[in-house]
Amino acid sequence: MIGPTSLHVWSINHKNAPTEVREKAHLDPDRATALMDALGGHVADKNHVPTVSETGCISVVPVSTCNRTEIYLEVVDGTDVDALLRKGLAEVGTDPDLFFSEHASVWTELDAVRHLYHVSSGLESMMLGEPQISAQLKDAYRLARRHHELGPGLLRAFQGAFRTGKRVRTETRISNGAVSVAFAAVELARKFFEKLCDHRAVLVGAGETGGLAARHFLQHNIGNLVVVNRSLENAENLAAILREEMKTGLGKKGLMNRGGLAAPMPDPDLKCGKISVQPWEQLTDALAEADVILSTTGATEPVILPEMVEAAVPRRKGKPLFLLDIAVPRDIHPDVAKISNVFTFGLDDLDGIIQGNIAARTGQVPHAQGIIEEELIEFQQWLDEIDIRPTVAEFKAYLEELKDKQVGFVRKKQSAEVAAAVDRSLQQFIKKVLGRSVSSLKNSQTRQERERDLETLKRIFAPDERE
Amino acid sequence: MLVLMSVFKVLMPMVYLVVWGTYLWLFYTDHPTPRRFCTRFGIFTVLLHVACMVVKGLALGRLPMGSTLEFMCALALAMMATYLVIEIRIQAKNTGFLVTGMAFILVFVGASFSTSEPEVSPYLTDPGFAGHAILVLLAYTALSLSFLFALLYLILNRQLMRRQFGLLFRRLPSLEILERMSVGAVKMGVPLLFASLCLGHLWMYDLADRMDAEMAAMLSPWDPKIMISWVILLGYTTGLLGYRFLGWRGKRMNVMAVAGFLAMVAAMGLVQQFFPSFHNFRSTQPIETLSGFTDSAKDMLARVERDGI
Repeated sequence: MIGPTSLHVWSINHKNAPTEVREKAHLDPDRATALMDALGGHVADKNHVPTVSETGCISVVPVSTCNRTEIYLEVVDGTDVDALLRKGLAEVGTDPDLFFSEHASVWTELDAVRHLYHVSSGLESMMLGEPQISAQLKDAYRLARRHHELGPGLLRAFQGAFRTGKRVRTETRISNGAVSVAFAAVELARKFFEKLCDHRAVLVGAGETGGLAARHFLQHNIGNLVVVNRSLENAENLAAILREEMKTGLGKKGLMNRGGLAAPMPDPDLKCGKISVQPWEQLTDALAEADVILSTTGATEPVILPEMVEAAVPRRKGKPLFLLDIAVPRDIHPDVAKISNVFTFGLDDLDGIIQGNIAARTGQVPHAQGIIEEELIEFQQWLDEIDIRPTVAEFKAYLEELKDKQVGFVRKKQSAEVAAAVDRSLQQFIKKVLGRSVSSLKNSQTRQERERDLETLKRIFAPDERE
Repeated sequence: MLVLMSVFKVLMPMVYLVVWGTYLWLFYTDHPTPRRFCTRFGIFTVLLHVACMVVKGLALGRLPMGSTLEFMCALALAMMATYLVIEIRIQAKNTGFLVTGMAFILVFVGASFSTSEPEVSPYLTDPGFAGHAILVLLAYTALSLSFLFALLYLILNRQLMRRQFGLLFRRLPSLEILERMSVGAVKMGVPLLFASLCLGHLWMYDLADRMDAEMAAMLSPWDPKIMISWVILLGYTTGLLGYRFLGWRGKRMNVMAVAGFLAMVAAMGLVQQFFPSFHNFRSTQPIETLSGFTDSAKDMLARVERDGI
């Protein structure tokens, strides 16, 4: 059985370390596995119960994303964790000094758990409240669990972190609202259209920015996406890439790598996400047929002119036309904004939306922290009982055994109803005795007193002693 | 029965206030808790109010829409019920604070201020009239909600045009949803108005022999109020057909909806003021002399008129 343990975390993240330090500290899955091997967090008995390695390490969970590398460690009390980690990192070829420099933060015990809960809730993320970190933590947790049995402290801490993250995201609005330009564009489009699936977007330009914006619209189920570009070949290339990503689900990954928000891939049954190409000469026709225009060309002069939009508007039967110019210099002539039922937005407008959303998310931080503190209280309560739980379980087993014997005796002499009543009564009795015992143990004045009480209880009721 | 009615008199404004508070909470914070409960509270309120109306109707032996204050309470119920149907169909809850706020004010005024007006139409005991009155109330409430959603559409449209990304931008549903809510309300209002007009026509001749001779002489399908109602029905039906088959959408359609409603209200006001109509069912008789009421109903009616709801 594991004795008293302690939790530690070392963190190199975007708040305390520049990119080059974070790059050096990064642990890919292979290195993370090697680190777990090196630290000795791999020992488990045949019943998958974690045991202590020679190094004092019980379990380790390395978490490494583009913005942070963190090592969560559960060790037996009294272990020299610094030496242990230095040795482990050196073995996997990572400079141990990185984790002991001014670029690293270290927390222990409840502070370590608090940090984990903050991370899983997105409070430590570069984009406050972003949800990807939750999936990344789960990946790290699964990798560690595949490698070895986690100790009780880390197991509980990570399960609590996932629950806390979920609570924070559902009970607050910390993840609401777009905080990237491309997603803000989708959010703005949604102020016009209920379901993007019923609408057609035209992407003017086939560059990288346009591709990213198009991916966001595809992920939010735009019905049709038409790529219009001066070079038809480039337009067809981008359309082919997007079609391939849609088919294989790579669009989501692509967005993650670019720091965008991950949205579920479109449901194939919705018949959304049709991608096509039109030649540059048909841009005016495309304006008449589309509901959303995304312009992202590298042109030095406006490419969408008032006369083109004026020609398109009468064919739209009063439907609003939403034009989004995310090119610098601008692609849409300023006079287009004067045309009735035509809405044009630029990068400044999107930035206004993003800033508003960031402010709204920041306003949710106190609420999120409140949830984290609630969960930490529960973790602390669990921690307070962790050492007494095995002994209390033995005590309970002893009382249950006595109860069963008594009930069996009554059953022989009396009716089944009487035996059932005695059973219920003794069950209540056991509950009260256990409740009082646990309460007394938890309220011990000193650790020594608690250990002495536990020892006494164990000596009296442990199975061997009873025999 | 009177005890129950007294309880309802205190309870109803409180329940409406809770619903309004929940929708306001949702609008200002977008918190998941009010989002989860607001519709349920609304449905509960409607059911409770229906129970209240049934109890009162049974006690009085007539439709409880005899006085201005009673009518305000009935209007609040109609607004809540119609709004909830639209909200549940379209799943957009962020406009609820406006409708529930108006409903609360109506119920609060209806329940709080006692009245001394004893004018109650004896026709309220007639099921034909009751059905006609309820349908008219529901129809015009639906058209009023259509006006409200069209107005919200124009407000959001203006905010987007001016690039104002404030609270209304963040909380109001999309232009398309607001348009659907407005059209959805018209889709409810048009058949209700049609049914109420048909029922009104049938009931009119059925009741002629029970009316005062003076009023019976005025009965006519060419009554200005009826004519205006048919014109309104025609106008809204045309709008619906245009939306369905001609693709009438966007700002112009919603400007038409707002203008149409305002014209309707103005026309009704003009007709009410300047044209003689048999659509005046207020009795000038004291309650004691009303025919068709039992003594206990008259007694209860007098007390209800005195104490409000």
